[in-house]
Amino acid sequence: MSIGGLAPDLANTDEFRARLAAAEIALAEETRRADALNRIAAAIGRGGDLEGVVQAVVDGGVELTGAAFGAFFYNLVDDKGARYTLYSLSGAARSAFASYPMPRATAIFEPTFLGLGIIRSDDITQDPRYGRSAPYHGMPPGHLPVRSYLAAPVKARSGEVLGGLFFGHPEPGRFSERLELLLEGLGAQAAVAIDNVRLNRDARQELEDRRRAEAALVDSEKRFDLVADTIPMLCWIAKPDGEIVWFNRRWYEYTGSTPDQTLGWGWRSAHDPKILPEVTRRWAASLASGEPFEMVFPLRGTDGLYRPFFTRVEPTVDENGEIIRWFGVNVNIAAETANRERLMFALQAGRLGSWELDVETREYEASDLCKANYGRRADEVFTFDDLVATIHSDDRGRMTQAIETAIRTGAEYDIEYRVVLPDGDTRWVHARGRAAQTADHGGVRRMAGVSLDITERKLAEERQRLLLNELNHRVKNTLATVQSIARQTLRAAPNGALYRDAFESRLMALSKTHNLLTDQKWAGASLHAILAMELTPHAGGREGGGSRFSLESARDIRLNPKAAVALGMAVHELATNALKYGALSSSAGQVTVKARVVDAEAERRLILEWTESGGPSVAKPTRRGFGGRLLEQGLAGELAGEVRLTYDPGGLCCTMDLPMDALEPDE
Amino acid sequence: MSESGALQGLRVLVVEDEMMVSMLIEDMLGDLGCTVVGPASRLDEAIELASRTELDCAVLDVNLGGQPIFPLADILRAKGAPFAFATGYGDAGLREVDRGSPVLQKPFREGDLARVLGELKAALV
Repeated sequence: MSIGGLAPDLANTDEFRARLAAAEIALAEETRRADALNRIAAAIGRGGDLEGVVQAVVDGGVELTGAAFGAFFYNLVDDKGARYTLYSLSGAARSAFASYPMPRATAIFEPTFLGLGIIRSDDITQDPRYGRSAPYHGMPPGHLPVRSYLAAPVKARSGEVLGGLFFGHPEPGRFSERLELLLEGLGAQAAVAIDNVRLNRDARQELEDRRRAEAALVDSEKRFDLVADTIPMLCWIAKPDGEIVWFNRRWYEYTGSTPDQTLGWGWRSAHDPKILPEVTRRWAASLASGEPFEMVFPLRGTDGLYRPFFTRVEPTVDENGEIIRWFGVNVNIAAETANRERLMFALQAGRLGSWELDVETREYEASDLCKANYGRRADEVFTFDDLVATIHSDDRGRMTQAIETAIRTGAEYDIEYRVVLPDGDTRWVHARGRAAQTADHGGVRRMAGVSLDITERKLAEERQRLLLNELNHRVKNTLATVQSIARQTLRAAPNGALYRDAFESRLMALSKTHNLLTDQKWAGASLHAILAMELTPHAGGREGGGSRFSLESARDIRLNPKAAVALGMAVHELATNALKYGALSSSAGQVTVKARVVDAEAERRLILEWTESGGPSVAKPTRRGFGGRLLEQGLAGELAGEVRLTYDPGGLCCTMDLPMDALEPDE
Repeated sequence: MSESGALQGLRVLVVEDEMMVSMLIEDMLGDLGCTVVGPASRLDEAIELASRTELDCAVLDVNLGGQPIFPLADILRAKGAPFAFATGYGDAGLREVDRGSPVLQKPFREGDLARVLGELKAALV
C-alpha cells in the first residue's frame, strides 16, 4: 500500500494530513469516476433502445467531467450540408435548444464532426476558432452559458462519424487535460453502444423482414390456392420427370377422383384409352425436350362422358435454365367444339365456303368448300393471287376494286363474279365478307367471309329472264293477232251485231287454244284435243241431237305452240263455216276428220282431211272470205305446207298437207 | 290516210311467221296503196323472194320460229333496200349493225306503219 509506505516522520504532520485528505478526495473522485464508467458500461451492456444507451453515456459523461451540461449530437447530412441533430441532453432542459438552429460545420464544431479528435478549451469564447461564422459570430443570444468546452467525436467501427459528445461549464478552466483521455474512452464506448444497438436493430429488422416475407409467402400460397380452385380450368403441377404432385379442386370435381387415385401417374385413368397412347407419347416427348406440350384430348367426367379439353403444359425453369416443375392447364372446350361443329355443319349444309384474308400480308385461308368453289381440291395450295387469277378476266377488275374499297372503307364486300376453273368450266360465285379486325389507320386489318357457288341460281335467273322476255313476246304477238282478227272481222261483217258475234267467237277460240297450251306449260298441245275443243260443242249440229262428227286418226300428234294456235284458229273457221252454211247447218250432215302421218321422200307429213257431207249444196264463193284466206294463205304460209279447199257440191272438203317439222315441238 | 298517196306503189317485202300478223300487215299495206311482196314466213323463202323480186323496202319480223332474220337484213343492206323491224321483243334482239333501222313494236297502228314506211322511202332517195 503506497500510503502505508510513506515516511513515518510525515505521518503526523499537517502536510501528511493534507496529502491524505487530497488523496482521499482523489480516491473519492476516482471512485466516483469508476462508478460512472461502471454505470455507463452496465447501461451499454444492457443494450436496449438507442435513446436509453446514449442518455446513459451523456449522463455518465457529465458526471465524469463535472460539466454543467452535456449533449450528444447526431451527424446528419442533408442537402444543405452537414447539420447536427440533438439527440440527448443532460444538465439542461431540451427546450434550451428548441429555439436555436442546429449547430453547423463551423470552425469550432467541424473537427468533432469530421472525427478529427478531441477539442478542449478552458474558455471557448477566447478560442481563436470561436465567433468566426455568421450570423451569430459566437453563441446565439440566450444560449446556455459555455466557457469551459470539451467535445469528442463518436466514430463507429466502420470509421463513420456517428456524432459528437459535447460538454460545457459556465466557468472557465473546469476541464483538465486528463479528461481528454477519459472522453476519448467515453466516445469509443458510445460508438460501441450505438453500433451494438444498431446491430441489434438490424438483426431484429432482418428477423421482421423474414417473418413478413414468410407471412407474404403463406398469403400468396393461399391466394394461389384460391385462384387455382376458383378458375374454371383444371390445372396441375408436375415434377421435372412428369410425376404430378398437385391438382386443383376442379380436377377432382370434374374427374370425380381422389388425390390417391390420380396423383403421380394415376391421371391416365381419366383418359380415353384410345387416345391415351398418343397423349403419353407426346407428353414423354415434351418431358424429354423441355418444349411446352399442347394438345386437345378427351377427359372423362364423373358422368362417364368424355369431353374435349385443350391442354397446355409449360415448364418453369430456375436461373440455370433447369426445369424445376411443369405447370399444366386443361380447358374444357366442349361448348366451343359443339359450336364450331354446328357452324361447320351449317356451312356445309349451306354449301358455304369460308375464307379469311390478312390485308397486309395478303395471306389467304380458304376452307375446303371454299376451295371447291374455285375448282381446287382440299389439299391444294390456294393463295390470294390464285384466287384473283381464277376470276374471269371480265370480272377481275370489278372484284379487285370491290375488295380494295372494302379494305379502305371497312364497307361490306358483296360481289358476284364468274370464275374459270382449272378444267376450263365457268361457274358463278357469290362472295361476301367484312372486316374481321380494324387496323390502326382505320382501315381493315383482316377480312373474313363466305363464298357460294351460285351457278345454278344464275342459270335459273337467266332462264327466268328469257322466260319473261318470251312471255312479253308472246303477249305482244297475241295482241297483234287479236288486232288482226278484229280488223279482218270488221272488214267482212255486214253489221255490228254480226261483227261482235264473230269477233267474240274467234277470240274465244284463241283463248281456248291458249288454255290447252297452258295446261302443258306451253310446251305443246294435242291435235285431238284441239279438234275436240272446237267440234264437241257443235257435235250435235245446230239442232242438237246425236253426234255428227267423226274422227279417224290412228294416233294423236303433239303440236308445238305456234302450230297449235294456227290449227286451232283454222279448225275454228272450218267448224263455224260448217255450222253456219255447211254440213252441221242441216239436220243430217256429217263432218269427218281424217288425220294420218305419211312418210314422203325425206320428211314426214301430216295429211289432215276435213270432209263434209249430207249438208246443203255447196258452191265456190265469189270472194274469198276471212276463213278461206286464213286457211289457204295464212295456215299454209305459217306451217310451210299446202291447204286446199274444195267446194264439192256434196260438201266442203279441206285438205291440209303439212310437214311434221313445222308441227312438232322442238325438243 | 294522208300518206297513202305518198306510199302509193311502194313495193314492200313482208317477212312474218305469225299468220294473223302477216295478214294484218298485208291488209295495212294494201290500205296504204303499197304493193306487198310476199308475205314470206320462212327465211329461205324470204331470201329467195328478195333475190328475184323487185322491191323497194321491207318490214321484217326479227325472229322466224327461232331463226334470226339477220342474213336477210345483210342481203337487203347490200342491195340498198331499207327495212324496218316488227317485233314483240323490244329492240333487245337486234345486232349493233341493225340499230339504225326503225323498229315497230307489236302491236302497231296503221299510222305507225305509214310513218316508218315514209322513213324507209326517204332513205331510198
